[in-house]
Amino acid sequence: MKKGLIVLIAVAAVVLGLFFWVKNSYNSLVYGQEQVSAAWAQVENVYQRRADLIPNLVATVKGYAEHESETLESVIAARSAATRITVDPEKLSSAEIEEYQAAQGELGAALGRLLMITENYPDLKANQNFADLQAQLEGTENRIATERMKYNDAARAYNTAVRSFPKNIIASIFNFETKGYFSAKEGADTAPVVEF
Amino acid sequence: MLPAICASYAIPARPEPARLLNDYAGIFTPRERMAIERMLVEFDDSTSNQIAVVTVNDLEGYSASAYATQIGIEWGIGTGEEDNGIVLLIKPKTGSSNGDVAISVGYGLEGAIPDVYCNRIIDRIIIPYFASGDYFSGTVAGCSKLMDLASGEISVHREDKSEFSLFGLLGLFIMFSILFFIILGRGNGDDKGGNNGGHGGPADDILKGIIIGSMLGGGRDRNGWGGHSGGYGGGDFGGFGGFGGGDFGGGGASGRW
Repeated sequence: MKKGLIVLIAVAAVVLGLFFWVKNSYNSLVYGQEQVSAAWAQVENVYQRRADLIPNLVATVKGYAEHESETLESVIAARSAATRITVDPEKLSSAEIEEYQAAQGELGAALGRLLMITENYPDLKANQNFADLQAQLEGTENRIATERMKYNDAARAYNTAVRSFPKNIIASIFNFETKGYFSAKEGADTAPVVEF
Repeated sequence: MLPAICASYAIPARPEPARLLNDYAGIFTPRERMAIERMLVEFDDSTSNQIAVVTVNDLEGYSASAYATQIGIEWGIGTGEEDNGIVLLIKPKTGSSNGDVAISVGYGLEGAIPDVYCNRIIDRIIIPYFASGDYFSGTVAGCSKLMDLASGEISVHREDKSEFSLFGLLGLFIMFSILFFIILGRGNGDDKGGNNGGHGGPADDILKGIIIGSMLGGGRDRNGWGGHSGGYGGGDFGGFGGFGGGDFGGGGASGRW
């Protein structure tokens, strides 16, 4: 009888310990996931900020450089392609992020070409509105780089938690999946050079 | 190579003890350094906004804006609640390379100091001075413009230091008056008793003792304050309480000459 009680208490203690371990692991994974989602929201914000600057930029350049309609159209096309791509903030899979990054990279490259040709229009360069847009664009590119870095940091911390033992047991039971990263590819994704 | 990962290693480590002016490139004279640090510390004291001025000789391959933002994030410039830090980064012009300057603005001040303003401050105020080799005037002029803009948004006086002076002085004054009247009253009583000089002595001594004691007490307070601020006696600039963990999102502008 007494022995039975001791066994019962021991089992209860183990169950209780297990419960708290699962609870803490689960909650910390949820917290990590929230951090990643919040960082992703910031990334989308700053990309949207860049997209919002483009109509004004295109309109300003158009007033001075009518012959460059091809370049202007490519920027508009790249912008609409980039804004069409949405990423599921719950999943944030590598493939989705890669696709998103590629589309935004296209837009960045098109913007770079546009700013390159403005070099040939001294009147445009002297325009205050254009100078302000350029400053905003530069600030936005730096914001994009900053928020991408913060997203990668958050995703790295979360992925480490998901993959490492023993939390990976909880992660696989409750289907916590690793998140994708932004990669710094040479070429397509480099920020447009805003220098004159 | 991921610049995002490497970036955090490229920037200088957070200074110990914390300073608002970090002249790693050595473009200011000691006197100029003192003046700039004092200006920045006073601004921090009166508004809680922190402007850090950093000069470096090499941007380690990063854009000036990215470098400035990294410093802001890594050092935690500004308060954690308001994210009201600003970094002014200067890479002086040398024989072989051009000069770079960048302003990075913490999240909390992005509204007060938009990118366009930063760009104008750099182009119209800072670079004209820098181009003529006057780093000091350009830095001071740029910082005071940033201060005007920032204090319009966030202006929280740091209270911990000013509290002592008001309440302390008031308390001291009341204590003194009470003691003074007590002693005066006793002295008069003794005079009525007909004892001159001989009994006046102890009363005087007590009064002197109180005065000297309170002076010593005051001295102790001042020492404590100095210790907190990093030491006035060391000839260094005191008064800066340290960075507060502010965060940066990359807002700001850069320029070169």
